[in-house]
Amino acid sequence: MTTENTKDELNTVKEQHNLSVDVKEIESKPASEEVTTESTLFAEPIANFGSFTVTNSLFTSWVVVFVLIVIAVIVKTRIKKIPRGIQNLFEVIIEGAEDLCDQVTSSRAITNKAFPVVFAVFMFVLLNNWFGILPLGGFGLVETLEHGKVFIPLFRSGTADINGTLPLAIMSVIGANIFGIISIGLWKTINKYVNLKALGSIFTKIKKDPSVLMTAPIMFAVGILELVGEFAKIASLSFRLFGNVFAGEVLLASMGAIVAYVLPTPFLLLEVLVGVIQAFIFAILTLVYYTISSMDHDEDHDEKHESNKEAKFSDTGSPDISKEVFEGELSGVH
Amino acid sequence: MDSFIETFHIDWKIIIAQGVNFIIVLFVLNYLIVKPLKKLMKERSLTIIGGLNDAKLNKELLSNTQKEYDIVLNKAKMEAHTLYQEGKVEAENKKRKMIEDAKEEVDLMIQNGKKALEVEKIKIIDEAKQEIVSLVVRATEKLLETHKDENFDDKALEQIKKI
Repeated sequence: MTTENTKDELNTVKEQHNLSVDVKEIESKPASEEVTTESTLFAEPIANFGSFTVTNSLFTSWVVVFVLIVIAVIVKTRIKKIPRGIQNLFEVIIEGAEDLCDQVTSSRAITNKAFPVVFAVFMFVLLNNWFGILPLGGFGLVETLEHGKVFIPLFRSGTADINGTLPLAIMSVIGANIFGIISIGLWKTINKYVNLKALGSIFTKIKKDPSVLMTAPIMFAVGILELVGEFAKIASLSFRLFGNVFAGEVLLASMGAIVAYVLPTPFLLLEVLVGVIQAFIFAILTLVYYTISSMDHDEDHDEKHESNKEAKFSDTGSPDISKEVFEGELSGVH
Repeated sequence: MDSFIETFHIDWKIIIAQGVNFIIVLFVLNYLIVKPLKKLMKERSLTIIGGLNDAKLNKELLSNTQKEYDIVLNKAKMEAHTLYQEGKVEAENKKRKMIEDAKEEVDLMIQNGKKALEVEKIKIIDEAKQEIVSLVVRATEKLLETHKDENFDDKALEQIKKI
């Protein structure tokens, strides 16, 4: 890498990451000969296309996309009535995953609609997690920064960068709401967050039930909380995945620094498992959000209310009848 | 918010690029793996269910055919037995009839033979009588011719002629 290239890249990095160090200043300082490896909270840039910076996480994601496309094409071209090899594997995965999804959704119809998204989420996250821990530490770039030469690995898990997990979480939550609109309708989905129905009930039910003056604003506030909850879902999904995967990579780097090759091996196996678990959690949570969005809370509430009424009726007898009898007895006395 | 963006180096371009990556994966997996495999698995399940139903139907059919076979076989056995009995009875009747016919024929033949014998006997007797008569006549004639005299009574001669 030439000095001019390095200078340009450093300027770009400086612009993007708001580095307060002047490049000239770096040039004036003698760079340390020792190449160090840093575990940064963010993905490191490895190339620039105009104003677009390609980070190692994004690069890994592209590789994952490429690998998944290759696998998909291989599976598609080898599909036969009698399954063999990779087709067999995917059939087992799909069948098992659908059964698992059925347990969450309790409905094959919802499973059928949500499954492609959940499966794609699982595969994308899983491969991203695993590509981050591939022992390809030797592949990367050496950048000269203010404190010396820094090794930037070419592969960093796509999920070890918040820029990778955030779009997944956003699409998961937005997708769930779109699924909700398709399943229960736009009006009911909007009413979950901005409960206009509850506010309207103040005017329609106040004569019958004055307590609606208390409950309706609470219901409206709950709706607003639900809206805040959607943002919380995005934050929890994205930061959980990012935190776990990034922590795993830091752990591996730390163990490798203590005793190379030997000590990281068990942790590497652990991270393989963590990668599966995190992908599974992300996918299942996505499915749970899809399932919740497809449920009509009003109907559930009404059904519960009806069942409670029936239970009360069967336990104590009809209060109306007893009232009539009581009033009849009173009139008889008078 | 700014510190958050600065700390995590949030870049909307990278977020969009990662989103596009996921959408590509979603479409590729859905159209190349999930949909074709699910369709194939559904078809296979239907084939298996169809095969099982066919096997069940075939089993029922086999069972029914076996029952029908047994019924037909029993019926055939019964019919054969009936036919045998009928044949046997008929044969007995025929045998009896034939024996009776033969007896009748034999009787008839015997009677005819007897009749023929009687007729033959009478015929022979008549012939013998005729012969005797002719012999007597000839003898008488010869006698008369040889012993022709006037003493011979005409009446006796006439009686001999009558004989």
